[in-house]
Amino acid sequence: MSANAGLLVGCAFWFLAHGSSWVAAEEPGHRQAKVVEPLIEPMIPDTPQSSNPTAPQDSPGSGLSLFLSNGCGACHTIRGTEACGTIGPDLSHVGSRSAIGAGVLPNTEEAFARFVARPDLFKPGVKMPAFDMLPQTEIQTIARYLKALQ
Amino acid sequence: MTPGSRAEFGTASSNATAEEDAVRVANQPMMIRVKHAVFGAIGLPVVLLLGAWIGFFNVGASSGHWKVTAWFLQLAMRSAVRTYALAVDAPKTLDRRGLPAAAGHFARGCAICHGAPGELRSPAVLRMLPQPPDLALTVGDWTDAQLFRIVKHGIRFTGMPAWPARDRDDEVWAMVAFLRELPKLNPNEYRALAFNGSDATGSDRQPATPDVLSDCTRCHGGDGEGRSEAVPALAGQKEAYLLASLQGYAKGDRTSGFMALPVTGIAPDEMAALARYFAMLPPASGEHDQIPAAVINSGRQIAEAGIPERNVPACDGCHIGSDKNPIYPRLDGQHAAYLEQQLKLFRSESRGGTPFWRIMATAAQRLTDDDIRAVSAYFSKPAEDAQQPP
Ligand code: HEC
Ligand code: HEC
Ligand code: HEC
Ligand code: HEC
Repeated sequence: MSANAGLLVGCAFWFLAHGSSWVAAEEPGHRQAKVVEPLIEPMIPDTPQSSNPTAPQDSPGSGLSLFLSNGCGACHTIRGTEACGTIGPDLSHVGSRSAIGAGVLPNTEEAFARFVARPDLFKPGVKMPAFDMLPQTEIQTIARYLKALQ
Repeated sequence: MTPGSRAEFGTASSNATAEEDAVRVANQPMMIRVKHAVFGAIGLPVVLLLGAWIGFFNVGASSGHWKVTAWFLQLAMRSAVRTYALAVDAPKTLDRRGLPAAAGHFARGCAICHGAPGELRSPAVLRMLPQPPDLALTVGDWTDAQLFRIVKHGIRFTGMPAWPARDRDDEVWAMVAFLRELPKLNPNEYRALAFNGSDATGSDRQPATPDVLSDCTRCHGGDGEGRSEAVPALAGQKEAYLLASLQGYAKGDRTSGFMALPVTGIAPDEMAALARYFAMLPPASGEHDQIPAAVINSGRQIAEAGIPERNVPACDGCHIGSDKNPIYPRLDGQHAAYLEQQLKLFRSESRGGTPFWRIMATAAQRLTDDDIRAVSAYFSKPAEDAQQPP
């Protein structure tokens, strides 16, 4: 589990190095993203010693846990969660954008699902891999979660 | 009557027809040439085809080639190998880390034709034309580059097959390194290398009772740790990943000549049982080469934070933690040389794998050779807490 802690340390390192307006995100338990979906609880950054591998940070199969388990967090940040990647855009409030996918898609649940499955169809040369090998239901769940990130 | 004499005859006749004659005479040799050519172009192939159809040509191998044919075929084969090998970039020293896997592959994929130390070629094979040579006696005739060329592409019209996987020059070089060892090996040394020692003389050699697991342990070891740096450790790897990888090899979605043979003919339920077996084995905390701390640290940096300015994502975001997708493999404790090779295959988009492999190809795209060395060294060191099951 200290590996996950390592990831947090890695993120913290990045925050420090790129010191930005996000410092508050390091504050334990500070809820940054206004998540509309009631089930979603942001992960509380904890000290490595007390972190317990079996403690659920999120119910399995939920949008956030699918987002994290499939590695979206390696490229995207959602504030208040373990996801702190910086290669793709920050998705903390992606549900409230006027358009997504470099502006070519409307901000709807369905558009999120289509983009995540095959981003290359909407933006040639995109640096995000396609996730169309995931079951459609999982893509839908992730899309619903993203749309709810206001 | 030759055309010449008719021409003389023509000039001797009346002047009135002299001009006509001259034209006819001038055309005649031409017409004869055309007739020959037409016969040559259409008739000869027809005759040859007819001969072949009747069965005039002896395709039997028993009588051997005529001396001149044998000489010509050998010349053509050797010249072609020599010429094409000029384009091969041979490494200065052959990497010996692939020896156990190459020996294991040789025992199953080459020895049936070429024999091996302590195993004579079967009488059936000796009747092949051309005869597959005892390689221990002939490898000295070839340079490394020439052996590479032969093993990679095979030899047309002889039965000598090409390497079973595309884009796996690393495996072909491992086989060349083994062929260089071959003349020095006595039967016991050969068995130890190819059959992982004691299993060699047991039931393993009887094709009637195929014990699938004992085939795997020849290369992956009884403890599932991989018998060399180039053979991956399977012990403690995620079961879903192992199964999906075996299916990938079997379907040809993941390219490896070494794994192509072992997965052929394994039933789906056997495959699932093998994946479960290896996933349950405890990962070892084996001793490791001394790696400079600076290399390990830059590897850890990539693993934990990626290289944002070059679009390299943090590896831990997909590979560390029990909550990750079960198809995403563990890397901690894996052999560094194996990890390096896989990352290079991902980078050149030639690895293939499970249906998820392109995600990894995207992640590996911008890694330099130095990055690959560092991050592989970092993961190969078992983390202090790596003992817990995934
Ligand atoms: C290898 C890095 C990488 C991974 C992994 C990744 N993404 Fe992306 N993602 C990107 C990049 C880069 C973009 C920006 C695309 C562009 O516009 O060029 C992007 C864009 C997006 C967008 C559109 C955002 C916008 O502002 O329009 C969404 C939504 C998204 N990703 C969701 C996901 C989800 C869900 C996953 C996991 C299933 C995921 N991404 C995994 C790199 C990644
Ligand atoms: C089906 C039988 C067959 C199999 C299996 C086979 N070979 Fe061959 N191999 C041949 C034949 C036949 C020749 C001779 C070609 C010739 O002389 O023109 C040959 C020639 C060679 C030569 C050139 C030797 C020389 O001196 O002419 C090498 C090297 C070689 N094989 C390596 C291998 C390796 C390595 C494997 C296993 C990956 C292998 N072969 C598998 C039939 C086979
Ligand atoms: C001739 C040696 C050899 C034999 C026999 C062999 N393997 Fe392998 N195995 C390898 C090598 C080498 C690789 C790495 C191949 C690559 O580069 O893709 C590998 C890769 C694998 C992988 C993928 C591991 C990963 O981390 O991606 C699995 C799973 C596997 N082998 C299982 C098996 C099983 C099960 C058997 C028995 C049916 C078996 N192997 C027999 C040499 C062998
Ligand atoms: C977005 C998710 C993701 C990220 C980020 C990621 N990987 Fe992977 N990786 C995968 C997946 C999925 C596979 C399985 C590919 C397959 O075999 O189909 C994989 C496989 C691998 C393998 C092959 C393991 C084996 O046993 O054969 C290596 C090595 C590897 N990754 C290294 C890395 C390194 C180093 C990084 C960081 C630079 C990294 N990965 C980042 C998803 C990811």
